Amino acid sequence: MSVNQPEESFTKFEQELAQAMRGVDPPEGFAERVLARAQASERPRARVLAMPRRLPLWTSGAIAAALLVGVFAGDQLHARHQRERAQLAQQQFEAGVRITDEALEHTREQLAQAGVRFGE
Amino acid sequence: MAIANDEFRRLIETHQRMVFSIALRVTGDYATAEEVAQDVFLELHRSGERLAGEDHIRYWLRRVATHRAIDALRRQAQRPEADAEEWVEEQHVDGASVSSAGLQARLDDLLRTLPEPMRVAVVLRYQEEMLPDEIARMLGQPVASVKSHLHRGLTLLRRKAAVTMKEYVRESA
Repeated sequence: MSVNQPEESFTKFEQELAQAMRGVDPPEGFAERVLARAQASERPRARVLAMPRRLPLWTSGAIAAALLVGVFAGDQLHARHQRERAQLAQQQFEAGVRITDEALEHTREQLAQAGVRFGE
Repeated sequence: MAIANDEFRRLIETHQRMVFSIALRVTGDYATAEEVAQDVFLELHRSGERLAGEDHIRYWLRRVATHRAIDALRRQAQRPEADAEEWVEEQHVDGASVSSAGLQARLDDLLRTLPEPMRVAVVLRYQEEMLPDEIARMLGQPVASVKSHLHRGLTLLRRKAAVTMKEYVRESA
């Protein structure tokens, strides 16, 4: 078939071209090399977790709500931890004051026994 | 799911000549053609479950081989000779006939000198015996463009064949 130009010489050249353009065999062992590559690519690969391209709206909402709850719970936990630390510090301070008072009282009693009087 | 090995081997053996020939004549390089042809069959292996029927597979292989070969040619960034268009512009075409045997011997060299769109159109038309509208559908181009590429490619090829083969005859003498 001539493409656009129905000249006799053109058609003859097309026929010669079609005859000359025979298929070419691939190099020896081509099929084996392709099969080997196909088998190599079939070996189990590590699964990669991938996010779906587009999440449904409710899923996005649920994720946002879960994140919000997580942040709120974390904040509450942090505040509770701070309160506990403050209470412990207060208890330690009070214990320290009590021990100091007892030590002072003990010293005062010993001095009194030795005849030393304060505030007289 | 991929194609079973026996079936895959049969498909390779049935179509390897067609796929390799397209890759070779479009890229113009033997090693690149093998690489392209292997990649095409591996792609078939991966997407085999979506292809039904021998005609569909043949069409698919031809289309993918053509596109992969064009991609490889572009990656190679091999440009045809700079004065390719000048050969087309020459108005006089002498009556020197080009013998089929001589043309066959020089064909791959001559094809390599054609610009990519003309080369692809010529390969699909004369090697694969596709009609211009089939080529246009496969390449996603207007039929008029394909016809133009074919006409210009043929003119260029014929002119070059006549000149280079005269040189070839002189060199051999």
